[in-house]
Amino acid sequence: MSLQDFFLIYGICLVCMLVCRCVPIFVLKGRELPAGVQRALNLIPVAAFSALVANDLFTPGMFAAGLWPAAMPLVAAAVVVVVAWKTRSLVWCAVAGVVVYAILLFL
Amino acid sequence: MRLMSSFDSVKSALAAAAPVMAGYVAIGLPCGIMESQIGLNALMAFIVSVTFYSGAGQFMIDGMWLAGSPVASIVASVSFVNTRQLLYSAGFAPYFAKTKKWLTFLFSATVTDESFGVNLSKFQQGEWSAAQATFVNLFCMFTWGVANAAGALIGDVVDIPTAIASFAMTSIFICLLVSQRFDRTAVVVVITTMLGVFACKCAGLAGPAILLGAVIGMVCGLLFDRASRRVVHRGAPDAGGEAR
Repeated sequence: MSLQDFFLIYGICLVCMLVCRCVPIFVLKGRELPAGVQRALNLIPVAAFSALVANDLFTPGMFAAGLWPAAMPLVAAAVVVVVAWKTRSLVWCAVAGVVVYAILLFL
Repeated sequence: MRLMSSFDSVKSALAAAAPVMAGYVAIGLPCGIMESQIGLNALMAFIVSVTFYSGAGQFMIDGMWLAGSPVASIVASVSFVNTRQLLYSAGFAPYFAKTKKWLTFLFSATVTDESFGVNLSKFQQGEWSAAQATFVNLFCMFTWGVANAAGALIGDVVDIPTAIASFAMTSIFICLLVSQRFDRTAVVVVITTMLGVFACKCAGLAGPAILLGAVIGMVCGLLFDRASRRVVHRGAPDAGGEAR
């Protein structure tokens, strides 16, 4: 893909991002969201991050090349879950994830 | 006096932003390295980072791009994931009822997961102004931009395996997921979303798997929520009786 494609993706994503970031605060000034909409919005972060994690960790036929190549990222992910639960820190999770992943990769 | 107090308020904004800024340096570097892998130079990485300003979004674009996903899939998935910003923006609305439009715009255009957390807790504690909250956002944003630009520079020189750099992104997503508030509905959403993503990939829909999986999970979560609400509603008198 070319840089032109990149800037197309970037441009559209930027517009969507600005709409999501700026519209509610202006529209809702001093007003409450309907309860149903609020419930749906509350589920977005959990759904979005679950989808991203699943997309990175699970692939059809992932165990075809043997147990370890597929299980290795899952082991590293399990370590990150523990670090995330204990520290709630993005930095420590990123450091722990990369270090454990690199160690397991070179084992 | 006035100058002094505004200096103090900027200083307290910097203190509130400092932990997030440290984090953005650590995460911005690998993000910049991935950006250099898709062909961005340091200036482009900086501009993208201070306008789009989304760690998850930038990692996603880079990762999906390197995986060869089609343009439409990248745009749809990234934009869907970013719809969580609607929630953050709505959450701040009560605190900006009397703020000038340009400041409201500048603030809301620069909110992220982390600065949302910092600013919301400060607003809830009281004694926090829209200007201070905007300073927190801008300090974090500038740090993010510089870290990305530095990463893009390093990326031209050092060759870090993509698999390792992209696991930093996976780890960040895991942390953001674990940091959410978990009730039974959230557990249903997690399980059904993950199954949904896997099912989409099995069906050959790897491109829109993130978007479709998340929508499947949200629908299941809302249905579960509605069903359990009905059960609670029907069972309410009994439950009350037991409590007594």
